[in-house]
Amino acid sequence: MQVSSKLESTEYTDLNKVIGWFIALRWIAWLGVLIALLVINFTYHYELSYNILYPLNGLLFLVNLSFTIYYHVFKQRNLSRKEMGIFFNVQVCSDYTILFLLIYYTGFLENPFSYYFVFHIMLTSFIFSPMVVFIYVGALVSVFIAVSLAEFYQLIPHFSLNIAAISSSYYDLIFLRAVGLCSTLIIAAYLINSIKIRIEERGKKVEVELSHYKSLDKTKSNFILQVTHELRGPLAALKGYHEMILKEITGKIEPRTRETLQRASRRTENLLTIIDEMIDFAYMKSEEEVRYDKTDIRLKAIIDYDIDLFVNRARQRNIQFVSSCPKDLTIWANRDLLNIILCNLITNALRYSPAAKTITINAMEDNDRIHILVKDEGMGIKPEELPSIFEEFYRSQRAREIERDGTGLGLPIVKRAVEVLNGKITVYSEVDKGSSFHIYLPKKNSQKDKEEGHG
Amino acid sequence: MDKNRILIIDDDQDILETTGSLLSYEGFEIYSADTVERGIEMIEEISPHLILLDIMFPEKKTRGFDAANEIKEKYPDLPIFAFTAINREYAFDFAKEDLKAEEFINKPVETDKLVKLIRKYL
Repeated sequence: MQVSSKLESTEYTDLNKVIGWFIALRWIAWLGVLIALLVINFTYHYELSYNILYPLNGLLFLVNLSFTIYYHVFKQRNLSRKEMGIFFNVQVCSDYTILFLLIYYTGFLENPFSYYFVFHIMLTSFIFSPMVVFIYVGALVSVFIAVSLAEFYQLIPHFSLNIAAISSSYYDLIFLRAVGLCSTLIIAAYLINSIKIRIEERGKKVEVELSHYKSLDKTKSNFILQVTHELRGPLAALKGYHEMILKEITGKIEPRTRETLQRASRRTENLLTIIDEMIDFAYMKSEEEVRYDKTDIRLKAIIDYDIDLFVNRARQRNIQFVSSCPKDLTIWANRDLLNIILCNLITNALRYSPAAKTITINAMEDNDRIHILVKDEGMGIKPEELPSIFEEFYRSQRAREIERDGTGLGLPIVKRAVEVLNGKITVYSEVDKGSSFHIYLPKKNSQKDKEEGHG
Repeated sequence: MDKNRILIIDDDQDILETTGSLLSYEGFEIYSADTVERGIEMIEEISPHLILLDIMFPEKKTRGFDAANEIKEKYPDLPIFAFTAINREYAFDFAKEDLKAEEFINKPVETDKLVKLIRKYL
């Protein structure tokens, strides 16, 4: 989350700089137009509509002056996303309009500088999405066609450059076209390269920030690792002391003390589960790409191992495990993730089952999938609560009543782990009859996945 | 039982005391060391039949990992149980396969399971 918002803000400062660049370019354009008008006016003595063209140039001056004041003085070169969107649109519209008028009053399609619209399109494309760019281009083309037709049918006057008629030399026309073409080429090269450099710079900046966040994330992961060690270590000692007292190694204890200590011991175990859930959750949330190396795993070994972790706890409440899995069923997956999935589901099944019930774990394969089923005869989940059980931190009312300790992270972690393995999880539940979680995992991950895993 | 000497190497005094007491209650002869260096010295002195080694030491996370390999080089027949409080392989700074230990155990471990496992090797 943090990473993406920070990346947006890079784009942000960059776009703010782009506004400054646009304003600078516009000042150059204004000066260029002014010089061109003066040169043509006083050296060539063309009959252009100077009474319109000078005021237009003045308008460009005023427009850009107000943009400059708005950007540099009012906004201190820092516009919000919304302001920026509006400001870019205002700039594009005013630029298109003023250039259009300048071109219209200087011969319209006769004028070789009409190609300067290409630059506007380039800059528009740099800022806006393709959709917006095509809307602008569409509007521009429509106006061009409409004005051409209007001129043709003499609905509006045509302001001809009329060079050939005024000038004795045909070469003046060629000269004008040459200036138009060469300046177009030079400006195009300048703009495209500026845009390219800006894009490259942005890319580099993003890379730098990304590596910064990756290293921060690494620190976070190390922190989690440290916490694991720090929390699980003392808990191991605590459990050991409980056991020492319960086994009466330290001396005889009263039945009431035994009972009290058994409670303490149970809470300690809960705490351990909570810590494990927090750790798994933090890892899964981590932006860092935790590499889940995959290997061929005998599913039966994993199931037996995970059941064994809970056998003692189940025996205390006379709960039985029944499991079936073909001996040779192998799965191409990550061991940690499989353990996380099974341990979390078994923990839940144990927690929410009354005494003397059975927990069933079945695994089998069909043509393209491996199915793992974890079924309990516990309290079940109300239909209206079913959609929420995979939400982070969600715990149903009855779950809270039965077991006070819990993070509400177990099932979200399971879901995430299943997703990382490209699988799917579904749940079927009936209140007071039990729940069954059905996990489907792809049997053969793609060849590419397999190659990556080996490499 | 003649082969019953177990050396526990762990920097956590409480783990040394609890694991030690629980295992000696089960009839094992327990020796403990709170540093890897002291532990390696003690192997000479008491020639244990099995070592329980915490592989994550705070000063250097893989100190115990290296120690396991050192011990294995000198005493290839001495079974080592590697202990760690970290229970996810992706959090390790090393590959589990590179660790020269007979068993890999997450703390906390239930005593009867540990005893069963130790008996397999003695």
